[in-house]
Amino acid sequence: MAGMKELVEEIAKALVDIPEQVSVREVQGEQVTVLELKVAPSDLGKVIGKQGRTARSIRTILGAAGMKLNRRFTLEILE
Amino acid sequence: MAPKYTVESVEPRIRRFLSPLLARAGLRLRYRVAAPENPHPDFENPEVVVRFTGPDVELLLANRAELLLALEHLTMEMLRMPPEDHSRLCFDANDYRALRIEELRLSALAAAEKVKRTGKPFEFNPMTSRERRIIHLALRDDRQVRSESSGVGSQRRVIVYPADRPAAPVVAAPPSLPQRRRR
Repeated sequence: MAGMKELVEEIAKALVDIPEQVSVREVQGEQVTVLELKVAPSDLGKVIGKQGRTARSIRTILGAAGMKLNRRFTLEILE
Repeated sequence: MAPKYTVESVEPRIRRFLSPLLARAGLRLRYRVAAPENPHPDFENPEVVVRFTGPDVELLLANRAELLLALEHLTMEMLRMPPEDHSRLCFDANDYRALRIEELRLSALAAAEKVKRTGKPFEFNPMTSRERRIIHLALRDDRQVRSESSGVGSQRRVIVYPADRPAAPVVAAPPSLPQRRRR
């Protein structure tokens, strides 16, 4: 849907050490689109951040983008 | 002291990251990367300021500038800035940062007055480390009160105490834990 998968992918790739191992899967639900982010195990801390602040920042951007599209997006970081 | 970050050194990387991000997110914002003219040199001394304008500035500043701070945080992480350098880069729109500093400074002074009047500690709402720092700085010359941060992560907040009173353990912490340093 309108590039949200690519949005998360590009942000994650800029944050991690191994961008080749970044992948995002989009799961469409009725109300919500779930974006499942996978990164190299050694890069998990980079996308989560101290006290989850980086993950929270990505979610804030998804929230703003979703508002424009009238659609809810949630980010799941797969471990 | 020579600046660690300059417009020339960071602008290309910031643009490569931020411009596609804003476009994909559908945010109608323009921005300029510039050296600051700083109205509050005592409180914040950034070396590079990213200033946003455009129709979505209101969205950027909603919820205590949640989106602005999210973009700032991700950009700092992208640049691999160590935490101690975070005050060197600042995202802003409509002078939000300067207004917020003034607001924090005034509420710090009001809190100090209240603590002196009542003799009881005053607890602020949770704030970011940069905002907590502004409170501590605003009170540093006041001999009658003492400010400390308490709590973890996004719940960390400033508490103002009468100067002669030891800090009470506000959050449950193991008694053996060493005293946290200010800010």
